[in-house]
Order: sequence, then C-alpha cells, then structure tokens
Amino acid sequence: MSKINLSLPEVQIREIRINSITGYQGDAKELVIASREGLKDKERSFSQCLGCSTSKAACMTVLIQDAAVISHGPVGCASCLHEYTFTYRVNSPLRDVMQPTPRRIFSSNLKEKDTVYGGNMKLANSIREVYERTNANAIFVLTTCAAGIIGDDVEGVCQEAEDELGIPVIAIFCEGFKSKVWTTGFDAAYHGIARKLIQKPRKRRTDLINVINFWGSDVFSDWFAPFDVKPNYITPYSTVKGLKYASEAAATVQACSTLGGYLGAVLERDFGVPEIPAAPPYGIAQTDRWFRALGKILKKEEIAEKIIAEKKKKYLPKIENLRKKLKGKTAYVTAGAAHGHALLSVLGELGLKTCGAAIFHHDPIYDSRRLENDQLAQHVSDYGNVTNFNVCNKQEFELVNALNRIRPDILIARHGGMTLWGAKLGIPSLLIGDEHFAMGYEGLVQYGERLLEAIENDEFVKNLKKHAINPYSKWWLEQPPYYFLKGGGGK
Amino acid sequence: MNKEIRQIAIYGKGGIGKSTTTQNLTAALAESGKKVMVVGCDPKADSTRLLLGTLAQRTVLDTLRETGEDVELDNIMRTGFGGIRCVESGGPEPGVGCAGRGIITSIGLLEHLGAYTKDLDYVFYDVLGDVVCGGFAMPIREGKAQEIYIVASGEMMALYAANNIAKGIAKFAQKGGVRLGGIICNSRNVDREKDLLRAFCAELGTQMIHFVPRDNLVQRAEINRKTVIEYKPNSQQADEYRQLAKAINENDYFIIPKPMSQERLEEILLEYGLMESLKDDYRI
Repeated sequence: MSKINLSLPEVQIREIRINSITGYQGDAKELVIASREGLKDKERSFSQCLGCSTSKAACMTVLIQDAAVISHGPVGCASCLHEYTFTYRVNSPLRDVMQPTPRRIFSSNLKEKDTVYGGNMKLANSIREVYERTNANAIFVLTTCAAGIIGDDVEGVCQEAEDELGIPVIAIFCEGFKSKVWTTGFDAAYHGIARKLIQKPRKRRTDLINVINFWGSDVFSDWFAPFDVKPNYITPYSTVKGLKYASEAAATVQACSTLGGYLGAVLERDFGVPEIPAAPPYGIAQTDRWFRALGKILKKEEIAEKIIAEKKKKYLPKIENLRKKLKGKTAYVTAGAAHGHALLSVLGELGLKTCGAAIFHHDPIYDSRRLENDQLAQHVSDYGNVTNFNVCNKQEFELVNALNRIRPDILIARHGGMTLWGAKLGIPSLLIGDEHFAMGYEGLVQYGERLLEAIENDEFVKNLKKHAINPYSKWWLEQPPYYFLKGGGGK
Repeated sequence: MNKEIRQIAIYGKGGIGKSTTTQNLTAALAESGKKVMVVGCDPKADSTRLLLGTLAQRTVLDTLRETGEDVELDNIMRTGFGGIRCVESGGPEPGVGCAGRGIITSIGLLEHLGAYTKDLDYVFYDVLGDVVCGGFAMPIREGKAQEIYIVASGEMMALYAANNIAKGIAKFAQKGGVRLGGIICNSRNVDREKDLLRAFCAELGTQMIHFVPRDNLVQRAEINRKTVIEYKPNSQQADEYRQLAKAINENDYFIIPKPMSQERLEEILLEYGLMESLKDDYRI
C-alpha cells in the first residue's frame, strides 16, 4: 500500500516508503527480478561523495517563476542552491521564458547562538523580510539538519507567516540526515506543494495535462496539440497559479518516473488526476505505448494511432540510417534513475551496445505501484539485459575504475562533472541537460546525430588523455570496481 | 461519527509524579470504557511500567537503533491495563546525543506508522520535567496535544516549575490552539496545600482540576508494578483517580495561562505557605 499521508507535514523517506536502494552490483535483469521479490541494499565501506535532499528540494522550488526560497539553517547549507540560478537562466529559452528573472534564494543564516536559543524568531523575520523584498507569490522554507536537530517549529512558523502575509508559506522537510536517497528531496518538495499549494479542483479540464519534469525543451505542446491539450509543466518554470490548479488537469505524465513518481501518485490519489500508466517515451516501443496510453486516457485512441503512424513514417528511415552508423558501438551510462534507464533504451534503439551503467539509486517500484511505469523493466524486455549494472550514488572512484576496464566508445552522462572522467581517459563523453532531447521518435534522430558527432570528433579527448593525470592510484585501478561494496572484499 | 482524538500533554517538575498520575488517570479512563494511548516522552522510559505490569518496555529509539529504520507498529506498541496502548519514546544514553530530537523522531514515526487510529478517545503524552528545548515542545505543536495539565504540589520548587511551564504554554498558545486545562495537585501534605494551589491557579487564570491526596497505597501499588486502579480498585485513592479522570473527561475550561513574576509567586507562597500556629511543627 502506498504510504502517502498529506495530513502529516513530513514526507516519509524513500528507503522506507518504496524500499529504494543506493548500492547494487550485478546486471539489469537480476535487479528487475530482485525489485519484485524484495530488494536489499548493499552498504559501502568507503564513500567518496553524496548529494543532499535539500538540493533536490531546492531544484523543484527555486525554479518556480514567481516563488522565493529560504534555506532555514546555517548559510553553508544554501551554498548549493545557486546552481539553479544558472540552470534557470540557461534553460529559459527552451520554455519561452525570454527574460529570466533572478532567482530568489535566501538563507536564515542560523548561527551558534540560534542553535542554542532556537531559530523560530529568526525564521519568522526572514520570511517577512523576503516577502517585503521579493513580493513572491509563495515562499518555500527548506529545512536543514541544524534546524531539524534543535527542533525548530518550522511548520508552525510557516503557518503563522501564511496567515499574516496571505500567500502560501510552505515548509519543506528535507533535512539531509534523514535519507541517504537524495531524491527524497524531490518528494519532500512535492509533499509540501501538494499539502499547501495545490487546491481542490474547481472543475475537471480536458485540455490540460500535467508534465512533471526538469527543464527540458517544450516538446509536449506539439505532441499534445492534435489531442487539443496543453502541457502544464511542473515545477520548473511553472507559476504558483499554474501549480494550484494542477488538480484540474485531465492526466499527469512524467519526464522521469523517479522524479515525479510521488507527486503523480498524490495527484491521482488525493486530487483525482490519473497518471498515465506508461513509463516516459524513450525508444520506439515505449513511445508507441506512451502515445497509446495517452490516447486511451483522453479517449482519443484514433488520434494516438494517427500520430504514431505519421511520425514513424517520417522518422523510422532516419533512425534506421543512424542505426547503421552506430551499430556495434559501445556505450556506458552514468545518470540518475529513471532517466538513466531511459537513456539505455535510447541507446538500445539506436543499435549501440551498452556495456555498463552506474545509476545513482534504484526504486524497486514507484508510488503509483504500477509496473507499467518501471522504465528499467521495460528496457530489459524491449532491448535485453545490461551487464555491469551498478547502482551507486555518484561514487566517482567506481566510475573511473569501471570506465578504465570497459573502455566504451562513448560515455553518456546526465550530471555536470561526470563527463570529465571519460574525457580524461580519452573516451568521447556526452552530457545533454535537456531531458526531453531524446524523447519520442524525433528525439531518437536528434540524439543519434549528437552521438555520432561526439564519437566521430574524438581528437580533443585523445589529446586530453595524453596530458591528463589520473588522480587514482594504480592499486585502486587494479581492484574490482565494486571492491568497497558489501561482499566485495574491501574493508 | 467523526470525533476528534483528545490529545493531552502532562507536564510538571521532575519527580512530582507525572508518570504515576498519568497512568492512574488513564487506567481510570480505560476502566470507564475510553480508548487510550499513552506516549512516554521521557528518555528514562518509565511512563508505562504500571500499565504494562513489567519493567520498561522496548522503546521506540532502542528499536530504531537495534532493528533499523524498517519498524512496524507492533515492535514499539504494547497493550496494557484496560487495553491502553503504550509507547515509550526512550532516548539516547545519558550524556550523549539529543533526547529532544529523539522525541521528534519517535512521534514522527508513530504518525507514519498510523498509531493515531480513529477509534482512540485519548492520547496522553507524559513529557519529562520541563519544556527544555524544541524537541520537548513537539507534543504541544499544532496538530498534536491541544490540552495541557501540569502536575504540581504545594512545594515551592514544584510551583516554580509549574509557573515556568505556564510561560512556555502561553508562548505556544498565542500562536496556536494549545490551552491549559488545569493543575493537578499531587499532594505532598505541605501546609495549607489546597489553599495555596487554589491561589496559584487563580493567579494563572486556571483551575485546580483535582486534588489527589497523598496515600502510601500509591507506593505499594507501584512496587507491585500496578496502578492503584488495578491494585486496589475499591480503595479511596482509586476513587480519587477516577474523580480526576471524570473531571478531565468533562473539562471545558481551557485557557491561555497568565504566568506570574518570581516576586508574585513568592508573595503567594508567603501568604499561604506560612502559618504562625504551625511554626514549630515540620512533620509531614
């Protein structure tokens, strides 16, 4: 049973709610089977780096056009939030936001004394001040470990501020120490948004579909147009008003099942907006399923069939052409779930052989509890197994070790800072920030062309390899990549 | 029927008898057919011993430490006298960690595990001595205990603590719905105790909801790991607890307390706590 409870201020963490893990080594097929039968996490005895839930909560709140965000904690906890000002600015043309406004990010700046006397007053004053300075339509307060440990009444202070200011003031409980699966931060943000911002529907709209995504290009407007439907993007580049009435949409779709799984399930369970029972449209087979599921939910199946036929006619020859060029090339993927799984399908469709993957965590099932939304299971059934499948929360030492052994023709990454490891080893590496780039039939063509370009233009990485210094010792590179994972021999 | 669970927090100076009073009071409520849950919020984990008839049960925080995060409600909740559901939050070992955060974690876990079922009439939080930090205020935040009773006696330090607790309540009450329901006098047989408590209550703007006389039977029942209600159901003391339970069940007098200055508190003590005629007799 889904453990969603909007009457409580805090979201239940992923490892408890849906049994997510961050440590696994094996192959993709075994992982899919284990996910059905009871998945056990594997500990690491050495860990190089981790992310924090607060950053993920920030990602889903900072990018809302007309909101402000306060990190309630020591100022250092807000230091990672500013990356989203960059994200907002550079991706805004993809969403027709032609004049991106500065992001409103603040910290209540808890200090030694505040941890002794309590930070409630400081937070209350911060909220007031932020409202006066920004005139935001909603203020999000992200909690931090320090505020959580001293037991500040963040929910109470936010409620009081909401009553005083007349705008939603939303507490997001994303203390980093609570969960080792940093995507819990997405859930925390959505939980707060669903509790305090999303309103009961005034009516049901047949012309609006929620798209839970990051900052990907606006492909959905064109795709939805034949159905007479518009996308309501959640939450990056959305507005407070748009979020309020997400409850009125005809359905919800996702760009990444692990990102929006929680909100999708909440919208369905608590607001009556169905989530389409299909993983996002990456690869031909899944794109077919996705359009059919969309057509079915909108009761416009014939339109879906028409789109599928037209697009296939137009793009299949191009895809086939790319397959010929890419056939036999090997790839390694490092990305978060479930977008990483989606990229595996894209590579599979284009005829590449994926010889390994390092995916940052794994959800055995999503909050909707629907197996149809499992992108990895879909990949395995459509394109076969993936060997060297590693679930690791960005442990770069494992990535370098694996790449050094496997030496793929291309490294595919999704997060900044990961491609450099491929490049230093002389492996062409590709990072595409727009998560919609490879979606659908046309996405396969776009993505395939970029892959070819990256593989063919390898002069730079070859030169870089000659001058790069590998920071890892010879000893480490000779150990198995999963040496420090439980059962791997490392202490 | 859509009834609200009455959530009640019991505060008071350390050693004043909060746990004993809470257990006897809840035993009396259970005896009258009420469905009750008692959540011990004291790291010492001694809030449910008399209801369970055993030494302290396995606490929420011990369970978390030993079993890991994946805890079931059955692991941390046991049923005691009269069907009362008993939970002990517990805490870290003395001198380490953060007991306040322990209470936040425990109550959060109870909520997620669905311990607050609709059939409950009452949830009691037996909180340690004083509201010392954010964690110990957790039971009186919004959506949790809306009623507070302070256990006090006529002893000066007990009243001093009660006044301090009233300051905390006043602060919370101004923002939210939490209210003081009254003072429970757990008698220590000090001079003119009843008058003193009445005067103290009047000053705070509240009531003395019941005067529980001192009786050695309580001590005997405790040694037998029982409440008086269970140990000697026909005794006068058992009836005292039943009257307290009835008064709380029927209580509709909830206020924001007006805590007094230290000077005013001492004035009241002087006025009621000293009787010239008893000057040379200090027996209690």
